[in-house]
Amino acid sequence: MSDLAKEKVARLLKKRGSVSSLGSHDVRNKNLLLKNKDSISTVSYMDDPGHHDDVSRPAVQMENTYQLGPKKRFPVQTVKEILKDVLSSYLLEVKYEAELCRQMTKTISEVVKARVKDMMIPRYKIIVVISIGQLTGQNMHVGSRCLWDATSDTFCSNSFKNSSLFAIANVYAVYFE
Amino acid sequence: MEDYQTGEETAFVVDEVSTIVKEAVEGAIGENSYQQSRVKQWTNNVVEQCLSQLNKLGKPFKYIVTCIIMQKNGAGLQTACSCFWDNTTDGSCTVRWENKSMYCIVSVFGLAI
Repeated sequence: MSDLAKEKVARLLKKRGSVSSLGSHDVRNKNLLLKNKDSISTVSYMDDPGHHDDVSRPAVQMENTYQLGPKKRFPVQTVKEILKDVLSSYLLEVKYEAELCRQMTKTISEVVKARVKDMMIPRYKIIVVISIGQLTGQNMHVGSRCLWDATSDTFCSNSFKNSSLFAIANVYAVYFE
Repeated sequence: MEDYQTGEETAFVVDEVSTIVKEAVEGAIGENSYQQSRVKQWTNNVVEQCLSQLNKLGKPFKYIVTCIIMQKNGAGLQTACSCFWDNTTDGSCTVRWENKSMYCIVSVFGLAI
């Protein structure tokens, strides 16, 4: 009986087309276990519930805007403040725990996205990436490169550390021509 | 003036991208063990290789490639991303790769122009 209920809930969430990452996403784990000597690799991609509805609808053809660049630029400093604010308020006294931090990363990314959206910067697409890791004396290196238009696109990054965990937040803003 | 772009060309194809990423990681890190001094160079190599291959696809996309290389030490890492984009044309792909001494997580985000 519980399985039936679970199926109903899953179907309902899919119908709502919620694009929240907190929702029941089907993370398709394409387990291409290429056991190439000592290395293993797996691929996964998000299968958004909204995606199924959109496949039947043809892609929207946009008209020319005749704009050369963005009218309002992306305010990097303000977003940096937002990141600092959100990270410290959510993670100040938190101790690293796998399940809690899993939920925390999702929540924080949603919150940051909502606050950046509230700023109403037109024609910008936003990507927020949050990583929370445990501090055990290990070493880690994070790098990112972007292929975009440097005059209109930008990013913003912030990090936070307490006694048991560290958090890295990246916000990328891409202008939609 | 006719629009010569078909629908197939302007969609983010996960399989293609994941192949590119896997090749880039194997090429840059491959058999190596974690070495503090070389890790910066490795992340740069992985990301640059990915980007140049993605560029060669010739699609009207802007790309963001993120690479995390972490030493295997029993520590946990959680990553989440939240995106405000157009679902019909944009997409992302994450590849997790590991060997005996380290983890490598590469995320590629593709946004249609």
